[in-house]
Amino acid sequence: MDSFFPALQAILNGVLTGALYSLIGMGMALIFGVMRIVNFAHGAFMMVGMYATYVLFERTGLNPYFGFLASAIYLFLLGYLFYWGLLKRIQGQSDFMQILLTLGCGLILTDGTQLLFGADYHQINLALLGKNVHLGRQISLNAPWLISFGIALALGALLYFFVMHTMHGRAARAIAQNPYAAPLMGINVHRVQAFSFGVGVAAAGIAGGLLLPVFYLYPTVGDQFTLKAFVMVVLGGMGSIQGAAIAGLVLGVVENLTSLFWGNEWALAVDFVIFLLVLSLRPSGIFGSQRV
Amino acid sequence: MRRAQLLIAILSVSLSLAAPLVVRSDYLFQVLFRVSLFAALGLAWNLVGGYAGQLSLGHAAYFGAGAYGLALFSKAGIHPWSALLLAVLVAVLFAALIGGVSFRLRGPYFTLSTIAFAEVLRLAAKNLVSITSGDVGLPVPGLFAKSFVRSLYLAAVLLTAVTLGITAWVSRSKFGYYLMAIREDEDTALSVGVNAARSKLMVLLLSAALTALGGGLYGSLFLFIVPDQVFSIDISVEMAIVAMLGGAGTILGPLIGAAILESAAELLKNLFHEAHLLIYGILIVLVVLFLPEGITGSLAHRLRPRSAMAAPSSKEPDTVPK
Amino acid sequence: MRSVCASAVAVLGCALALTGCRRGTDRSDRSDEGSGNKVKVGVITSLTGSTAAFGQAHKNGYAIALDELNGRGRLLGKRVELDYYDDQSRPDQAVQGVSKLVDQDHVPIILGAYSSENTRAIVPAVTQKQIPLLMPTATADNVIESGSPWTFRICAGAGAYATRTVAFLKDTGAPKKMAIIYENTNFGQSNAQAMLEAAKQAGIEVVDSEAYQASSPDYKTLLQRVKAKNPAVIYFASYLLDATTLMRQAEQVGLNPAYYTSAGTGFAAAEFPTPDKGAGRNAEYTFSVSQWLPSARWKGSKEFDEKYFQRTGSHPAYHAMEAYVTLLAAAEAIQKANSNNPQTIRDALRELNMPETPFGPIKFDAKGQNQHPVLITQVQGGQYRVVWPVDAAEAKPIIPTPPWNQR
Repeated sequence: MDSFFPALQAILNGVLTGALYSLIGMGMALIFGVMRIVNFAHGAFMMVGMYATYVLFERTGLNPYFGFLASAIYLFLLGYLFYWGLLKRIQGQSDFMQILLTLGCGLILTDGTQLLFGADYHQINLALLGKNVHLGRQISLNAPWLISFGIALALGALLYFFVMHTMHGRAARAIAQNPYAAPLMGINVHRVQAFSFGVGVAAAGIAGGLLLPVFYLYPTVGDQFTLKAFVMVVLGGMGSIQGAAIAGLVLGVVENLTSLFWGNEWALAVDFVIFLLVLSLRPSGIFGSQRV
Repeated sequence: MRRAQLLIAILSVSLSLAAPLVVRSDYLFQVLFRVSLFAALGLAWNLVGGYAGQLSLGHAAYFGAGAYGLALFSKAGIHPWSALLLAVLVAVLFAALIGGVSFRLRGPYFTLSTIAFAEVLRLAAKNLVSITSGDVGLPVPGLFAKSFVRSLYLAAVLLTAVTLGITAWVSRSKFGYYLMAIREDEDTALSVGVNAARSKLMVLLLSAALTALGGGLYGSLFLFIVPDQVFSIDISVEMAIVAMLGGAGTILGPLIGAAILESAAELLKNLFHEAHLLIYGILIVLVVLFLPEGITGSLAHRLRPRSAMAAPSSKEPDTVPK
Repeated sequence: MRSVCASAVAVLGCALALTGCRRGTDRSDRSDEGSGNKVKVGVITSLTGSTAAFGQAHKNGYAIALDELNGRGRLLGKRVELDYYDDQSRPDQAVQGVSKLVDQDHVPIILGAYSSENTRAIVPAVTQKQIPLLMPTATADNVIESGSPWTFRICAGAGAYATRTVAFLKDTGAPKKMAIIYENTNFGQSNAQAMLEAAKQAGIEVVDSEAYQASSPDYKTLLQRVKAKNPAVIYFASYLLDATTLMRQAEQVGLNPAYYTSAGTGFAAAEFPTPDKGAGRNAEYTFSVSQWLPSARWKGSKEFDEKYFQRTGSHPAYHAMEAYVTLLAAAEAIQKANSNNPQTIRDALRELNMPETPFGPIKFDAKGQNQHPVLITQVQGGQYRVVWPVDAAEAKPIIPTPPWNQR
């Protein structure tokens, strides 16, 4: 079999999926960079974003490709409050306390959702789902995935701009570089961290909203994405936003190529093997310039 | 203080050994089995996570290796008890490999790498169908022929006792002080001549062996295992939470943590059904916010001012990591 | 040191209090057992977790059977009571359930679990505790082939699924090339294995056999791989969520085999052909094995359908019927045994003969397997229609499946 076109198709599919991974990963990278917190509730926040978008669609018929904006605002507020209510109170404690806290909050979000909506899964059916864009005879791309790719790309660029060129972003980077010197320079550390945490989980929530039309949702749907986000953040160099973005795309492509040449059931394992290789050979990440 | 803790611990283990005198129901034995199993697992995790301050969230790798080793070696015709020993050996080999890579990393990097190793093993167990029969699962031999659940319960208590003994030894040996020095400040420990790499690896091997024994007992109770059950990240997290809740880096902490958490989990499930994980989550958050040093640690703090006045310079090596 | 002593006393006190209350519950259990004005039947199924949709179908089926039993009169002069244990779709929880139901609640028989994984996991436990287990829906054949004398299965298994599907294929055009797509679970693996063997015997070449990790968002590349091998038949073994994703993405990659066939489950769920809980129009033309349909010729099928519709507002798939008839069979065995003793009930199950149930005749062979005929259905106009064997067919099969761009 001629493997050129299948491989090209797999790579393109991987890029489309990977863009959504990137959003999730960038959110986590931002949080890690500014707070040194590994957010174990990241996938749970993504799941909340999916449910928010879903509820909007069910109640008001709002198309998820607009609805994700509302759920982004909702998640930003949730994250913001989460920071002031919980995270701020345990600053300066061991890594592990922070991991425990986010783990516990993930459980609360997941099981709370299960109580509200039941364990049963939900899905939505857009007419768009059957539309495909054909490139030549061999390659076709699915419309919903293309749209979510475009949105993810635009938002990723916006997030990058936010971090690199706004006051808040500069302050966030300053804190990331030196959390002790930043407040001396007149930066309100708590406000910046709260804002960054809000933006970080909102990014995950947006990815959830964009995933809704092509996937289905149930309370524990986010768990697999938490693990993927870890992989991206480490691959990209801990705390590097552009690194995490590229890592997301790489992950999408690698998973699809593994699926093509080896078998779908190995895709996830390959993620982790790459993760371990990078960690042991180049702990600063493939794309990261930041020192560990 | 430490001696008192040890005394309480020994007392509660002896009490547990006497449980069969009053308890009759197999169901209660199963609950008690879980409590004592997780007491042992929490203590085993505590050696690495509490004393050496290396926050592993991948102990499911050793737990699963114990359970799968027991199943696979028995399938190959080896006597179950020898199979269990071989399984422990395999887990120790895994620990050597994992430790070799992961201990070069620090902080969250270390934690994430332990998760990744456990996940790779879980996926390998799922996908290497010709060896592990994948998600179809494997039968595990019952280690005891007579009064099965009660015997397994006693075995779990015994494992707790052994782990307790090792913990007591570690907490007062030179080896233990090396570990605590690494926990407080690895660079300083290195500069005063502690062989940090070797100490960390040794304690991980010890912890892995004990964890694998626990995994074997667990598999034996269920008589049948699948990868998602014994290699699950939930197992790793539960071990850590048991130790942290009771107080990491203390002798008594994991015992208290296991007793509270495991009986609470069972009670919550019977009382609240679907809400039990929610309450579990709230419990974790409350502990982090209000008892950051675990129950034992916070209790010790509460009690200290009075005794501290009598002996202000009493140094307490068995407190929590920073 | 004083404070330490105090805390030691406190811990001891707690421990004693605990053992005290444990003894208390222990005793109350016993007295409960004595005051028998009801027959408890243990049920393990998935009320939450990834297979909760099927667990709910189980629950509805059991509830209808329970109403009938308690309405009809009493069993051994007692009310029947169902004692549910939710296994959360996890095998370890299912095993925990056996212990809870047997050791604490003292049920004499257990029905369940839903999935093949969880059912296989509890076989050793019920064998060890010597409690009869009646399985309504597990299709993996290893659940019944463990050699345990305590297990009985109502539904047909993977082997029957595969041989009947192959017979149907030979009857309707004898395609030559097949691809198997299955999730890597007990259910998926055993159905794929059974099909490999059946296809080989029938001279059908299996050109591709793909395992996948359940609940992934993206199977396009896997389907691409299958498409490149150009099979005439695809045989799926999937649960509902993935059945939907697979059929949606089959359209996206333009996968056009002559037959989409499947080992039931996801492809035979009541929700699958519906647009808001399943694949909707993408489910059209898919074939599936089926154990039962509301239109089945057995007496009582229509009545069950009506009762189910009244209760839930939707029509039942075979999983609900299997749960329903499983409870009826258990009640019949308890009646025949005239006792609450697990061993006697087990012996009654061995001898059980129910020639007329809405699920067809029920009688267990030496292995504990009920010989149940398997039908082939096709989704036509959003409905499951029996298309094979010919004597039971309500409609003609539409073959080949029209390509996606001509639908």
